[in-house]
Amino acid sequence: MSLLALSFTLLFVVITMLVSVWQKLDLEKEIAVGTIRSAIQLLAVGYVLQFVFKSENLLLIVLIVCVMIVVAARNTSRRANGMSGVIWRIILAIATMEILMMGLLLSLQIIEATPQYIIPISGMTIGNAMIACGLFLTQLKREIKSSRGEIETLLSLGATGRQAVQDVLKRSVKYSMIPTIDTMKTVGLVQLPGMMTGMIVAGADPVEAVRYQILIIFVFTSSSAITSMLLSILCYKKLFTKDLQLKNREE
Amino acid sequence: MTTLFELKNITKNYWESNEETSRSFLFANITATLQKPERIALLGKSGQGKSTLLRMLALLDTVDNGDVCFKGVSAKDTDTRIWRMNICYVAQQAVMLPGTIEDNLKTVSKLHNSTFDENFARELMKDVGLSDLDWGKQATDLSGGEKQRVSLVRSLLISPSILLLDEITASLDQQSKEYVEQLLVKFHLEKGTSFIWVTHDTEQAKKISERIWYMEDGTLAIDSKTEVFFENGNDFPSQVMI
Repeated sequence: MSLLALSFTLLFVVITMLVSVWQKLDLEKEIAVGTIRSAIQLLAVGYVLQFVFKSENLLLIVLIVCVMIVVAARNTSRRANGMSGVIWRIILAIATMEILMMGLLLSLQIIEATPQYIIPISGMTIGNAMIACGLFLTQLKREIKSSRGEIETLLSLGATGRQAVQDVLKRSVKYSMIPTIDTMKTVGLVQLPGMMTGMIVAGADPVEAVRYQILIIFVFTSSSAITSMLLSILCYKKLFTKDLQLKNREE
Repeated sequence: MTTLFELKNITKNYWESNEETSRSFLFANITATLQKPERIALLGKSGQGKSTLLRMLALLDTVDNGDVCFKGVSAKDTDTRIWRMNICYVAQQAVMLPGTIEDNLKTVSKLHNSTFDENFARELMKDVGLSDLDWGKQATDLSGGEKQRVSLVRSLLISPSILLLDEITASLDQQSKEYVEQLLVKFHLEKGTSFIWVTHDTEQAKKISERIWYMEDGTLAIDSKTEVFFENGNDFPSQVMI
C-alpha cells in the first residue's frame, strides 16, 4: 500500500469527526488523539519489529513480550480501581498464560521458534487475555455489589472467603469468556478475523491463512479461560479484610 | 464460671463526623454480658446502630474499639469462621442462595463437609410452618416470608450458641411470626441457644425476651429484665420505638 493510499484512509477519521460534531458527541479531541497515537504507535512497532526480525535476538523477543504484558496489565488494572496490588496479579496471570501457551506451541512445533511467529501470536494472545481480564474485573465489581447479601450470608454460615465468592468468581470468569466464545461460534460466518484477512490481503494461500486463524482462535479460548481463572484465584483475597469481612465498596 | 458472651466497650465510629448528632461515633462503650444462655430483645429507635452492633458481633463489620468474647476467648484470638458458626447472624433481608430449597438447607453441611441431618431439617421446617414446601422448588421463587423462614432454618442447622436476629419477623404475617417466635423460644429452652433479637415490636419483645437492651444516643442506655423494663414506664407504643 502506497503512502498516498494510506493517507486517504484518514477520510474515515474525518467522517467520524463530522458525525461527532453533527451529533454533538464531543468526541473530536479523543478521536484526533486516538488517530495520532495509533498511527505513531503502529509505525514505531513496525520499525521495531523490522529490527527484531532481522536481529533474531532471543532477549529482544522476551523484552518485547514483557513490555506487552506490562502495558496490558497497566491498562486492565484501571478497571479494578480501589483494589490495591491488582496490577501484579494481572501481570502474573497473563505471564503464566503466555509461558504455558508459547511453551505448548513451540514444544509441539505448532509454530516456528522465530520472532515472526512468536511476537505477533504473543501480541494477539496477550491482547485477548487483557480483554478477558478487563471483563473479569468489571464483572467482579458488579457481582460483588449485587451479590453482597449472598456473600455475607455464606460468611455468616462460616464459609471461607473462597467459598463465599466461589459462585461470584465463576460468573465473572464466564462473563469474561463470552466474547471469545461468541467469536468461536460465528467466525467465518459473521466476521473474517483480522489475522486471516491480513494474510489473505498480503497474498497468502487462504487455506493456509485459515489454519493459522483456527490456531489463534483455539489459543484465544484457552488464554481467556486460563488468565481469568488465574486472576480469580489471585484476586479473591483482596475482596476481604484480614478478619474475613467483605470490604466496603469505597475501600 | 466463664461468662458466655461479653461485649467490652464496643465502639463504632462514623465514616465521617455526623452533623446531625455532632458525634464522631455511632455508638460507644457498649458493655454487656450474657452469663448464661439468655433471650435478649435489642430495642431502640432507628439509626441507633442496632443492626450494626449485631453485624459487629458476627464479625461482619469491624469493631473499631473494644472487644467481644465468647466463653472467655476474645474474637481477636478466634478463627473468624469458628466464631461465626458459634455466633450466627440472620439478616433482616433473607437472601436465598442460587439453587433449590434443598440446596439452601444443605449449604451448611456442604460448607463444612458434614452430614446433612434431614430429619432435623424437616422438623425445623415443620416448626416454622413450612412442612408442605417442595424442597425441589427454586429458592428464589419463594415469597418473602417463606424465604425468611428458610433462611432461619438454614442458620439453625449450624446449631449456634448465639443467634443474632435482625428484625427477622418484620416481613412475616402474624401466624408465621408466631411460628418463628415459638421455634426460637423452644430452641432456647431445649438446646440452650441464646439470641439477641433486634425488633421494633414491643409486644414481641415482651413475649420472647428475658432481658431488654435499649440503645439510645450512642449508648446502651438500659440493660434490664424484660418485666422491669416495661414496669418502669418504658412501655412505648410501637411508633415511638420506630
